[in-house]
Amino acid sequence: MVTRLTTPQKVLAYSLLILLALFILFPIYFMGITSLKTVRDIYRVPSLLPINPTLQNYEQLIGTWKFLDAIKNSVIVAGLTTIISVFISSLAAYSLVRLKYRFRTWSARLILFSYLTPSSLLFIPLAVIIAQLGLANTHLGLIFVYLTFAAPLSTWLLMGFFRSIPFDLDEQAMVDGATRLGALFRIVLPLSAPGLISCAVFTFTGAWNELLLGLIFITSPELRTVPVQTNYLITGDTVRMGLVMAAAVVSAVPVMVLYFFAQRFVVQGLGAGSVKA
Amino acid sequence: MKPSRLTLAQSDARLGLALVAPVLICLLLLVLYPFVFAVYISFTDRTVGAQEVKFIGFDNFRYIFGQYSFQQSVRNTFILVFFLQAFKLVLGLGIASLLNQAIRGRTFFRGLVLLPWAMPAFVAYLLWKFLYDPTQGGAFNMILGELFGTQLDFLSSKELAMPSVIVASFWRGFPFWVISFLAAMQGISVELYEAAAMDGATAWHRFRHITIPGIQHVVLVITLLSTIWTTNSFENVWLLTQGGPSDATMTFPVLAYFGMQTLRIGEASAVSVAMLPIFTMLAFFAVKLLQKED
Repeated sequence: MVTRLTTPQKVLAYSLLILLALFILFPIYFMGITSLKTVRDIYRVPSLLPINPTLQNYEQLIGTWKFLDAIKNSVIVAGLTTIISVFISSLAAYSLVRLKYRFRTWSARLILFSYLTPSSLLFIPLAVIIAQLGLANTHLGLIFVYLTFAAPLSTWLLMGFFRSIPFDLDEQAMVDGATRLGALFRIVLPLSAPGLISCAVFTFTGAWNELLLGLIFITSPELRTVPVQTNYLITGDTVRMGLVMAAAVVSAVPVMVLYFFAQRFVVQGLGAGSVKA
Repeated sequence: MKPSRLTLAQSDARLGLALVAPVLICLLLLVLYPFVFAVYISFTDRTVGAQEVKFIGFDNFRYIFGQYSFQQSVRNTFILVFFLQAFKLVLGLGIASLLNQAIRGRTFFRGLVLLPWAMPAFVAYLLWKFLYDPTQGGAFNMILGELFGTQLDFLSSKELAMPSVIVASFWRGFPFWVISFLAAMQGISVELYEAAAMDGATAWHRFRHITIPGIQHVVLVITLLSTIWTTNSFENVWLLTQGGPSDATMTFPVLAYFGMQTLRIGEASAVSVAMLPIFTMLAFFAVKLLQKED
């Protein structure tokens, strides 16, 4: 947008862009073709082309490794985390932006502090607490701990969105007889739809991608989420590259599709609150 | 003041607390309490399943400070964060400026940049693990073999392991910086650039005196937040090297995870708690910056 580029500048710009595209796409391409190769072919006929493509790895992933169960577990955990988090965060954000009460500043501070606190600082005491609550090795326990990163992020993002909605609109609705909650559900939330979508996308992908807490809290193989199950593919005795790459493709596709369709909201959300990455 | 308004204020206050309560309870129980609890157990000899827990003062800290793994983890965490952040900052600014030019295919390239970040972190690092594979099955060694007839131990040689972790982490992390910087750059008014161009300012001058001041707040926020999260990132090192070879890439989250696996959680906790001063300092600045935004 800045100024028109001269021809040599254009040549330079496009050369750099092509380099950038190669840097980004080559690893992804390699993942795709490797997932379609047998172990023999990967080591005996090294090639950057998809020779003798086969779906063998994917079949094994679903058959031997019960990957569909892991996907089901991840959908349950990430889905419930998203629904609960977006709901309680909308309530909290509305309260913090629109209502006045004694502990408001402290509440906002705690939320911001939690948003900044990385889970690698907390996972040890969390494991003890979750065990004491009797929630160790359950999806519910995992959902609970995922709320610690999801709720602060969503609340923080939504506070930004709610602030941009004129207060007059709420007041107008209340003059017309709506209650506070009525104003929240009928005016503020519908107008913040883009914010709700970006919160949902960030929360779902955050929970879908999470490895460390999943590794610690889930011990039964049948309860493992996608990242946890994938982790066990590489910590075994023999690591099968094609199989792991197939798992990588299957894990990445849902969230990448989600990001593709929600790109606008993702970028908007990024601008609104700087997301954990 | 009319009595009815007073009740409205009162009922607002009650409603306010009720609405914020679910999130607040969650965070008190699962963030603040564990935070305090972590500090407490790091001063005890707690192990998983132990009946009695003794308060042992600074013994855990004295013990871990004397360990090679811990010393390495502090050093490595510092190196990893420093180089990774420097690359993301400099190249992030460069790529964002490039994508901010009037060129064809801009939208396409912007979507492209988002890809590595849209990918789950654990997938990205697994993928890089195999790009680095020491055999000719690994993409880089396949290429090196074809071109130079040589192969490199990217992840299992002491010299290359850390640079390899940094490059992989850069690949997954840089889009977040580029997209954030780009959004900030687009907020700068075009007239400023036009006026400057008319006055004969060079591209560098425009970048230095218009772009930089226009985005410095965002740059500061992103750098600070990303530094907090990079310092504490687990997946990159865990999936690529598990801290090896012989602690050459050991960082403190991975060390704490290993400690947890040995079930001596007092000690493992001390590893995390030892990093608290740095986290607290960074978080303090981040809170100041973010609250100024309001």
